Amino acid sequence: MGSDQLAELSRLLYFPTTLMLYLGASVVYLYALTTTVGRTDQRERGRLAQRLGGILAVLGITAHVAHEIFRGLAQDRLPLGNMFEVTSLMALVGVVVGLIHLQFVRRRPELNGFVLLGGALVLGMAMLMYAEPGPLMPILDTWWRPFHVSLLVGAMGVFAAAFVFNALYLLRDTAELAVAAERSRSGGGSTVGAAYVGDVSDGSVTEPAADPPTSSSGSSGDGAELDPDDEREHAELLAYHRALRRGVPAVKLAIGTFLGTALVSWVWLVTADTWSAGLGRFLTVNLTMVAAALVARWFVPFLPPTATMDGLAHRTTAFAFVLWTVGTIAGAMWAEVSWGRFWGWDPKETGAFLTWIAYAGYLHARATRGVKGRGAAWIGVAAFIVLMGTYLIANYVIVGLHSYADL
Amino acid sequence: MPESALPPQQNPPVRRRRAAPSGPVAFVWESVLLGWRWLARMRTALYLLLALAILSIVATAVPQEPNVPSTVTTWREGEAGPGVGVSRVLDAIGAYDVYGSAIFLAVLLALYISLTACLIPRIKAWVRLVRRSQPPVVRHLGAQDERTDFVTDRSPAEVRAAAAELLGRRRWRVRRHDANDADPRPDQVAAEAGLWAREGGSLVFHLSFYVLLAAIVLGQLLTFEGQRGVVEGDPGFRDTAVSYWAYSPGRWFGEGDHQGWRLELERFHVDWVRDPLAPGAGQPTVFRSDVRVTPADGEPFDAVIDSNRPLNLDGTRITQLDWGYAPRVVVEVDGEVVHDTFLTPVITDGGFFRGAVKAPAADPDVGLDVFLYPFAPDGEDGRPVPTGAPWADAPLLVFQQFRGDLRLGATQQTINELDVEALTSQGFGALRLGQSMELEGVTITFPELRRWVGYQVSSRPQVPYLLFGSVLLVVGLLGSLYAYRRRLWVVTMEDGAAPRTLVTVAGRSFQRPEAFEEEFADLVAELMAATGGAPAAPHPDPDPQTPTATPAVETTR
Repeated sequence: MGSDQLAELSRLLYFPTTLMLYLGASVVYLYALTTTVGRTDQRERGRLAQRLGGILAVLGITAHVAHEIFRGLAQDRLPLGNMFEVTSLMALVGVVVGLIHLQFVRRRPELNGFVLLGGALVLGMAMLMYAEPGPLMPILDTWWRPFHVSLLVGAMGVFAAAFVFNALYLLRDTAELAVAAERSRSGGGSTVGAAYVGDVSDGSVTEPAADPPTSSSGSSGDGAELDPDDEREHAELLAYHRALRRGVPAVKLAIGTFLGTALVSWVWLVTADTWSAGLGRFLTVNLTMVAAALVARWFVPFLPPTATMDGLAHRTTAFAFVLWTVGTIAGAMWAEVSWGRFWGWDPKETGAFLTWIAYAGYLHARATRGVKGRGAAWIGVAAFIVLMGTYLIANYVIVGLHSYADL
Repeated sequence: MPESALPPQQNPPVRRRRAAPSGPVAFVWESVLLGWRWLARMRTALYLLLALAILSIVATAVPQEPNVPSTVTTWREGEAGPGVGVSRVLDAIGAYDVYGSAIFLAVLLALYISLTACLIPRIKAWVRLVRRSQPPVVRHLGAQDERTDFVTDRSPAEVRAAAAELLGRRRWRVRRHDANDADPRPDQVAAEAGLWAREGGSLVFHLSFYVLLAAIVLGQLLTFEGQRGVVEGDPGFRDTAVSYWAYSPGRWFGEGDHQGWRLELERFHVDWVRDPLAPGAGQPTVFRSDVRVTPADGEPFDAVIDSNRPLNLDGTRITQLDWGYAPRVVVEVDGEVVHDTFLTPVITDGGFFRGAVKAPAADPDVGLDVFLYPFAPDGEDGRPVPTGAPWADAPLLVFQQFRGDLRLGATQQTINELDVEALTSQGFGALRLGQSMELEGVTITFPELRRWVGYQVSSRPQVPYLLFGSVLLVVGLLGSLYAYRRRLWVVTMEDGAAPRTLVTVAGRSFQRPEAFEEEFADLVAELMAATGGAPAAPHPDPDPQTPTATPAVETTR
């Protein structure tokens, strides 16, 4: 097979194969998540769905790895030479590490869907910077490059997973706080035990009565055979779910996500060749993120307890921080060899420094007693904005020494 | 009668507390104390880090004088950038040299004082902890996170000995406790691990910043950096203070510290992907110098300098920085050669190389503004068509000729730029390789084209120390994130009903409960294997008299 065919094959493996498999697996996993809190008769389908999601995810990862291998063969070098390749590998690392961590270490496979969704989003973003396979500049042709670049790319992937956990934590926490506030208004003013409406049976919550549960029972075939107690519990559960979703105002979330993404995606707006192309990319990225946020909002009731997501965000960030630190030091060592100076405040170096400071701030905030939970999660989100912002700015806006590699 | 019941005037005179010292000295001292306490807060450190981040953003957005002085000049003069007014403000706050500005140094100093203020009590506490702390003996096991019970035929003492041996082998701090009248807590082996590693790792991580700072400061003093361009086949240059084009020694780097070797460039190899349709078209594929080095007292030898393989001469490092074509330009005025050297023009954004000929030997001075297009093949009409391609297959030398006063020495100018203030243009010319032309009585010849390479010569004795600091940083970081402090108790009790021992293993972890869960299961399995234990239902509390309200563990936090 010639290198042209290999390149073509690797492109097809990337899009549509890998992207579609990730998206499909993510949808199936997310469906499975909705069944974990539902009635018992749905759980079996949920388990089946989870298995299907697992198969799709493994296929997707296989296709992704095959894409990387074929791309590497087509250009006869490691696929870590430009921004597309780095972003694509970042998605692969994020998905693989995230899935293994959730599946085998934390044993929370129900969250796999979010990791896959994040992976699909990063893959899609990489499409915006697609580059045909090509040779490498001589200065990049050294073992330092895979060492330095893959560490940082791995760190970026894991930081992305941590961002997903932080965002989910904030969604769930906001929803729970809103429900608690609502209950304290309608109930006796106490927020103790407000996490779950279903445990209150005195009817102080008015929503279950207002929404008869008939619409949902039609969906399952043997719903009629359920005993009335179970049915009532189910209705209360659905009401609680609605209350949780109501707790996160959709419009506010959409606007917030749009503006938050815009903090990073303005780079496309200003650096594209034409206004319309820039606006197109800007809107694509922003609206995709808004759509992802709205999907996540719909899944808020099925999310695990906030403490789980908080812990996941912390552990993944800590791991990525170590990778980032070592990768940056390796970069400084390479710069000393290659450019004759170890640190020169090149835009990329400044970006790495800023990201390091941002995540160090997050870890310090977690370590002290002052900032916990929401505060720390917001710092984590801000740190990810710093990471993505410096990554794009240093590649597109401010041209420094690193940019001749377009990476 | 108690004193307090007396009427106030009969109370014995209360000894006045010595009045707080006042006056300027006390004021200064109190201010220092206040500042110290403020700096010791974590929140302050985070604000200072934020300030550092903002400064580095400023330094990225605004051109920095040490790196790109010419851009800064254009900003100052209003030719580029936000204008003269804003430029004055930028100058006033030191934004053109952020990393040398007072603000940056002040933030850095405050950050280090803050770090010190934060670390001193932590180090004290850590030393106390490591020296004095011993595993606490547990009263009852109900409140622990992890708990497993098993039964065994061995005697309680044997089980405890086995547990102590097992934990000791795994480097836990072990403390044995036998119940007695004074202390009725049950027979047990108490153990603790990860006591010093987590906080210790965090301390090492933070202390590594002092190592890094010391190395950087040391580097500022001892380092040396110089740049020099060398044309292929030229005699090259010698490592002395005067031979560099750009020269920045550290304060303690004396002229005698130069090693005095000579570097000659024999051949420079550079090539590109020339097929415009191939992937990566125009990218360089080779970038290598074959050089000859003559040490101050030794035989010359050949060496290769590649992109990622600088030449190392006793701690001095020679790196390829940039390169260009070096056209030899001969200028004759009235039959007399006034200029015959290789130029070292630098590449521009347009893909051509720009340099200058300065011939003060002529009267009046001759100056040429030189543009070299490496690949400008003849078009259909026979006129050269300049392209942006960098390979020298059809080099074309275009120049603008000036006469007048070059103002050499009067103004600051680089070797590739003319100061045209006092010069008069006499027209343009274009030459192919080997051609010659006459313009207003001046003959210009372009007989030869070579290449030149800009080398950076640097000596950085601080690098090993920086590396050491980095290793400390990573090791400390790993410890502070992944070490976890945990406690374990193995409580034994004789079974009243049968000749066997009831063993309860319990433990808790201060961090990373999920990691401890696995370790705990592992330890229990090993202990059961060592003592031939069999799983059992949870035993009753070994010491039922103990009130359950007693806290299980005296926490140290």
